[in-house]
Order: sequence, then C-alpha cells, then structure tokens
Amino acid sequence: MDGKVIVVTSGKGGVGKTTVTASVGAALAKQGKRVAVLDMDIGLRNLDVVMGLENRIVFDVVDVIQGRCKLRQAALKDRRIENLYLIPASQSDEKSVIKPQNMTWLCNKLRREYDFALLDCPAGIEQGFKNAIEAADEAIVVCTPEVSSVRDADRVIGLLYARSITPRLIVNRIVPKLVEKGDMLSHADVVDVLSIDLLGLVEMDDAVVVSSNTGNPLVQQKDSRAGMAFNRVAMRLDGHPDLPVEDPMAGRSFWQKVGKKLGRKDRTAKR
Amino acid sequence: MTFHSLIKKLLNKPDSSRNVAKKRLQFALVYDKLEVRDDMLEDLQQDLVEVITRYFEIDRDALSLDIQRMEGSSALILNTPILAAKHRKEGGARAHA
Repeated sequence: MDGKVIVVTSGKGGVGKTTVTASVGAALAKQGKRVAVLDMDIGLRNLDVVMGLENRIVFDVVDVIQGRCKLRQAALKDRRIENLYLIPASQSDEKSVIKPQNMTWLCNKLRREYDFALLDCPAGIEQGFKNAIEAADEAIVVCTPEVSSVRDADRVIGLLYARSITPRLIVNRIVPKLVEKGDMLSHADVVDVLSIDLLGLVEMDDAVVVSSNTGNPLVQQKDSRAGMAFNRVAMRLDGHPDLPVEDPMAGRSFWQKVGKKLGRKDRTAKR
Repeated sequence: MTFHSLIKKLLNKPDSSRNVAKKRLQFALVYDKLEVRDDMLEDLQQDLVEVITRYFEIDRDALSLDIQRMEGSSALILNTPILAAKHRKEGGARAHA
C-alpha cells in the first residue's frame, strides 16, 4: 500500500483539531479506506476519549517508536466503523522522547499499512509540532473565525510552507447567524486574509459536544451538519477533489435537502 | 474616501465587529511578518558598518540601526555621524566592492 500521511494542525489550541482528526478519519474509513488516526500530543492524550476508545488502550505510539510493540499491536480497531484504527499517545512520556528521525521511520511504516494516516498535532509550534509535520505528505490547518486563531493559523501555514508542504484550510465553528449580523468573520474573510485553499467549512454544531460526551462518531449522526461537512471533507481528500465546498451562509432554509443538493452551484463557497 | 464610507460617516454608523476583526487581523499579520530577530539586526549592523567605512570615516559607537513601525509599513532607519569622507583612488573602491 502507498498511503498518505496527513497532519492536522492549527497553532492555537481548542479550535477543533482532535474533532477534525477523529471525524475525517471516521468518514474516510466509512468510504472504504484503511485509516489510522494518531494522537501526537504525547503526555496529553485526547483523541482516545473523543473516539470512545480510552478503555482499550494497551500500547501507544511511543511503544511503537521504541520497539516495545509492533505498529499493528498498538493500533486499536474501532468496533463501530470498519477499517478505522487509533494509535494513542503515551500519557506518561514527554514530547522530547520522539525525535524527527523516528517520525520518518513511523510515517514510512504507516504508508505501507494504511491508505490514510491522520496525525493529530499538539497545539503550539514546538517539538511536538515539529515532530508531527516532520514526515507528513499533506497538512490540514484548522482555524475558527476568530482573530487569535486566524493569526496562529497564518504562522503555522508559514512554517508548513518552509517545509514545502502546501496546507489546506478547514474553518471550524462558523455561526452563520453571527456572520449575517456582522459579528463574526466570514469564511471568505478568513480565506482572504490567509490566501490558502479551502478544504471544508464546518458550522458550530451541538452534535459535536454530544459526540465527544458519548464517544460516538460524529459522522454517524445523520442530522449533524458538522458531521456532513466532515464527510464531504473526506470525499475531497479521497477521489473527489473538486467537490464544491458548501457555503454555510447560502440557502440556509433548505438544509434538509443537503444530501441531494451536493454540488449545486449557488451553494458553493468562494474558493 | 469612497462613497460607501462617506455614507457610513454621515450616518455615524460604527463598523461591524466583523470588519473590525478583519482589519485588525490584516494589520497584525503584517506586523508579525516584519518582526526581526535581534541577532539578525546586529549582523546587519556589522555588515553595514563594513560597507560604509569603505567610503566614510564614521563613529562606530554612535551608529544606530532601528526598525520603525508605522501604520501598515515598516522602515529601517540608520543613523550615523560622518567624521570624514574617504578620498579613494579612481576605480579602487568599485573593484573592492
């Protein structure tokens, strides 16, 4: 197999990296791909609880890198979604136990074993971030429509370019009502400021909170707008690169028909 | 002033917080990109002194190099007293440079 390693990063914490990693990973697996999601936040693991797999952890990514177990032994199989695996972070180590050369080795192994490996990057731009982007093929930058988040995203985008990675952007937690009122940056504003390709637009959605409360995958909740947005992100990553990005601001009244309306021109966001 | 902003001024309507956010962001990003590390400024000062002393006698200790920030742009400002111009032989400096 010749898979892709994609790092999910943001600079600022709390903007939804872990949600994006878990949801896009699950959506890709639902599309029939073999997917691994990795928690690279060594010392502060989170992805396991968000995915509801926290009780089954035996080995972690540091065990794999230090040769205490095989990659397959550390990969927890999700029982609800076929072909989805979680490789958790270690909770007791520090970020410095992983060296950049370890990541090159690990990513090569991941490419052989999976179609997609999504790396959930820790916040910040220090060692943990450097490790996560070291050997990645692609990058997803997540930001929310807030000044602080967009500024950090800009910094991270610069650092990714310096490593010859051209990232794509997911704008998370858009509140259409606030944008309409003129009290929130629109996705067009964000894209304008960052000048970067858009991969997805995700609305603020209560279902995200419910999903992380219960550990049930967001993308399996049928009426979740955020879940649907992540499904479309996964399609764009896998086989449908030109699937239009839906504008949360357009045609808000006929959201129910959203599944059927995929690709309608008037619902397409400015790229 | 555009027609739009004129109307806005006449109506005395404050900018929406969305537009304020966008403008602040744009300025912040410009400033972020202009930020220069101190050691880089020191290296630059050394290089500049080297070049200037080919042409002028200057007081090295009185030389100052600074970055001044204005709205939306930055300027590099070099200030140095000149003690004397160096009289060089024809073509000599060019070959040296």
